[in-house]
Amino acid sequence: MKGLLKNNIYATLSGAKILSIVMVLVGIFLALVISPPLLTTFTVVGIISYSAFAVSVVKEEFTSKWGKYKLTLPVMRSEIIKSQFLNQLLWTAVGTLLPAAVTTLSWFLHGCPFDSPFDIVTTFVLGISLSLFMGAVYFPLFHLFFHTLGADRGDFFMGLCLGCAFIFDCIIVSLVNRFIEPGLKNRLLGIVILLTVSIAAYALSYPLTVRIFKRREY
Amino acid sequence: MEPILELENITKSFSKSNFTLDNLSFALPYGNILGFVGENGAGKTTTIGCILNTIHKDSGTIRLFGKEMQDDDTALREKIGVVYDGDNFPGFWTAKQLSQVMSGLYTCWDHGLFEKYLEEFKLPYTQKIKHFSRGMSMKLAIAAALSHHPQLLILDEATSGLDPIMRDEMLDIFLDFVQAEDHSILLSSHITSDLEKVADYITFIHNGRLILTASKDDLIYRYAVLRCKDSQFQALDPADVIAFRKRDFQIDVLVADGKAVEKKYKDIVTDHVSIDEIMLLLVKGASL
Repeated sequence: MKGLLKNNIYATLSGAKILSIVMVLVGIFLALVISPPLLTTFTVVGIISYSAFAVSVVKEEFTSKWGKYKLTLPVMRSEIIKSQFLNQLLWTAVGTLLPAAVTTLSWFLHGCPFDSPFDIVTTFVLGISLSLFMGAVYFPLFHLFFHTLGADRGDFFMGLCLGCAFIFDCIIVSLVNRFIEPGLKNRLLGIVILLTVSIAAYALSYPLTVRIFKRREY
Repeated sequence: MEPILELENITKSFSKSNFTLDNLSFALPYGNILGFVGENGAGKTTTIGCILNTIHKDSGTIRLFGKEMQDDDTALREKIGVVYDGDNFPGFWTAKQLSQVMSGLYTCWDHGLFEKYLEEFKLPYTQKIKHFSRGMSMKLAIAAALSHHPQLLILDEATSGLDPIMRDEMLDIFLDFVQAEDHSILLSSHITSDLEKVADYITFIHNGRLILTASKDDLIYRYAVLRCKDSQFQALDPADVIAFRKRDFQIDVLVADGKAVEKKYKDIVTDHVSIDEIMLLLVKGASL
């Protein structure tokens, strides 16, 4: 497992280096100016981007023979999938930390950058939820359709899965708004529901992906 | 002693390509190199896929070290080194990163041995693999396959893409590897000259079917080819003929026992046969 995680981290790192430089520069700029809409976008896009880089590692592996080679290593297929899920969680955390640092710096310099601290939590939960939904859809779909569509279609899958994640989040938010009365406590409940559903979808996606991957031939 | 690798009646069908691996059986004894020969699309990679569980066989039994390997038999896979043809590792890695990843996967990963091979093969330690030539990539894959002290090497066209000098060096390394009695190599290749140099056994496969498996010494020293005229060919006992191929003015006939046949048919020219010629006769020829 240690080797699989290292493999995934190296793979993600190779793509995330430039993203990190851009994120740091934009983050410094956003910490200096006061712009809640930009900071919201930065936070959501930042979390999703790191997460997307982590997820795209799967595609990279299957465009070379490495994906097949891994099956000959002393690891179980379920461990390979587990490492992919853990890698996405890790990079989602990295993607969360950077906007969190920028938001903290902005608060330190100018006071709370949003109308209320609660909006900060909402923004971060939205980014994390979108990332989890994207991974929950991407992993099983990629392994299911890899042979039909080919690894080169990985970017198409990514767009599709991100679209699905947005739709899921919109549905959940709509349902929450419809059935829960407005108010701070209820908004908090809505956030908890959004996060819980996305974590549940992610957790359920793991055994499903393992099941699909165990049947695949390479 | 049971073989290190044994295949019994392996069958695997692909409905889309209409290809079937048909009741394939062969065994690789300890301390030997088995050359696995066949034209492109004959089923070599499919067979290796079935052995390594990257492809699920339809029926039959494959025993590695006397045991059928399941997904959770990670200890068995510790004992196997694999080299595929082409880009085995992601291009964005360096050899150093490859070693770091492998050390987290194999309990017996020998970093010192890996560095020794890199030095021997003149491979850079910190250059990205995507900048390696095909030969360099293959050498790196061979170094990685050897650096966790495997007992069985499975090489799928591992010497293709290497120049003759490097191939020769690799073959020496393979010969060194099997000096240990509990080590073996399954070497899939269509470079038959390589197999003539190192293989102890040669297994021919064609259209998913095993057509011949024999020791290399038998093939080279016992097997022979008769150069017959049409009338001489008609007089041959069908039991002596493994395969024949008509050419312009003669018919080449593959026989299993050259010396016996030479005595039996004194007026027919009998030649030694190369692995290449055996493969051509078996694949392109016909049988009686």
